[in-house]
Amino acid sequence: MNQVRRLLPDFGTTSSPTSVERLKERGFAEALRKVFAMSGEDIISQITESGIKGRGGAAFPTGLKWSSVYKAPGETKYVVMNADESELGTFKDRVLLEEDPLGALVGVLIAAHAVGAKKAFCYIRGEYRDVENRMAEALDTLRSQGWVGPDRVDVQIRRGAGAYIAGEETALFNSIEGKRPEPRVKPPFPTIKGLWASPTLIQNVETLANVAVLFAHDTEWFKQYGTKETIGTKLVAISGHVKQPGVYEVPFGMSLTDILNAPDLGGGIAGSGRLGAMLLGGAAGTFLTPEEIAKSSLDYASLGAVGANIGSGAVMVFDDTVDLVGVTTRLARFFAEESCGQCVPCRVGTQRVVELIENDGIQSRPQDLRELGLAMRDASICGLGQTAPLALLSLLDRPELRQHA
Amino acid sequence: MDSENGTVSDAVKVLLHDIPRERGQLLPALWRVVEQYREITPELIGAVSESLNIPYAEVYGVASFYSLFDNPGGKMPVYVCTDVMCMLQGSENLKHAAESAAENGPVTIRESACLGQCDYAPAAWSGARVLRRATPEEIVSVVKEAGQ
Ligand SMILES: Cc1cc2nc3c(=O)[nH]c(=O)nc-3n(C[C@H](O)[C@H](O)[C@H](O)COP(=O)(O)O)c2cc1C
Ligand code: SF4
Repeated sequence: MNQVRRLLPDFGTTSSPTSVERLKERGFAEALRKVFAMSGEDIISQITESGIKGRGGAAFPTGLKWSSVYKAPGETKYVVMNADESELGTFKDRVLLEEDPLGALVGVLIAAHAVGAKKAFCYIRGEYRDVENRMAEALDTLRSQGWVGPDRVDVQIRRGAGAYIAGEETALFNSIEGKRPEPRVKPPFPTIKGLWASPTLIQNVETLANVAVLFAHDTEWFKQYGTKETIGTKLVAISGHVKQPGVYEVPFGMSLTDILNAPDLGGGIAGSGRLGAMLLGGAAGTFLTPEEIAKSSLDYASLGAVGANIGSGAVMVFDDTVDLVGVTTRLARFFAEESCGQCVPCRVGTQRVVELIENDGIQSRPQDLRELGLAMRDASICGLGQTAPLALLSLLDRPELRQHA
Repeated sequence: MDSENGTVSDAVKVLLHDIPRERGQLLPALWRVVEQYREITPELIGAVSESLNIPYAEVYGVASFYSLFDNPGGKMPVYVCTDVMCMLQGSENLKHAAESAAENGPVTIRESACLGQCDYAPAAWSGARVLRRATPEEIVSVVKEAGQ
């Protein structure tokens, strides 16, 4: 067995995902009782000790973030669960919420108690209607058990409406506030000024599920998996030319080759049967060659050595017949479409990239594309513009991936 | 025209009666309107603006930002994912099949960016239902169903 089942419930789990029985079976009822008797400081020091980092893409140390919200001055504080999940090739939060919706919600409650928030929002993309319904059912269960409500933590679900940029944390705040979901300039950071200018803790679904399983067990248990640098497990969403696409939980440090080929993971390369490339981390990710894949593992240092990042955990696999210039063109159009238009490097840059690529620019004007990409990376306000050129830059750096162009 | 406007604005008031008149309720309110009317027309923006007491331009600015609210004509939308992973699994065929089935009918076919169903590519979404590993036959029947 290469895969682990911690964030995802054991295969033998039979209780309904939103039931009181599940709450008990997963140890979450006990975790809530335990945590609500603890002080914010004690909870946060356990989170810090566990080494949990954000799973939404940026891998920011979670304990540090909680501590910052905890210490921030302000009567009113908020907790937000980010379930906007609109990154290309990313579907791990969907599967996690389908299979165990109580976990991430218990994480929200623990977070709210720790930082002193009375109100929380779960922001979910509008296309995940079934998942939203399941989340609402799970919330009802928590309400029926007395964990959710005006005298504990009031939790509301907010449905997005088809805007990739709304997943960026400050844009998401604007969306909840009923404004256009355009990112705000940082600083001030959300921990100091987030929703309605109050200190706000925003975390990805998977991060919050980690919090729930941590308190359903203990730090020792939590540290059983992972590497020295990166503790724990990660959900990877494998798609494209593998025999068994899907979401799998694996320990940090697992080799990319195993992720692709192990019989209980990707199951081997499909399509032509020959690995062509991997796009790791979504539309804003990095293309890797078969040689780079062979020597890399799922850890920040190992991937950093080949210029890549785990990002949201999207593992997109292409056999050797796929025209990656075509794929990059699709990505470029996506970013041009989704740029909020607030700042020039991104608004103009994403359009220019499309024009150049559509006119054979990867072949004929790689230097112009590179300079444009670097300018976008360095001068855009938010993560969208900063990361939009990364996949393109990675393709420019790897001419061997463009032989089908 | 006046009386027509009156009707729409009254209907929207009823539709939104239990939504608090707060700026933070604008997105839920717009969702409710779209679920009822399938599109957001200038008239509906005016009605929401009146109902929640938010300036027209602000409501317009927010409503026009979101792609799921962008459905001029108000036909029933069926979304076909044409993003990278679904493209590899034949979303082009799916889209063509859907488009021919929808021609001149009450359903409109829209392309969607990644629907987050890449483990079941190619995918489509009809608002209520997600189609996983969708076949052209299946999408044709969904288009026909949605049109009834
Ligand atoms: C364009 C853009 C889209 C994003 N979309 C998401 C998303 O869908 N889900 C998510 O958790 N984080 C997303 N993020 C990252 C969030 O801004 C934020 O860093 C994250 O929710 C923090 O949670 P974490 O520390 O638990 O990862 C996005 C960032 C950018 C720049
Ligand atoms: S980088 Fe792009 S998406 Fe981000 S604020 Fe600027 S224009 Fe908007």
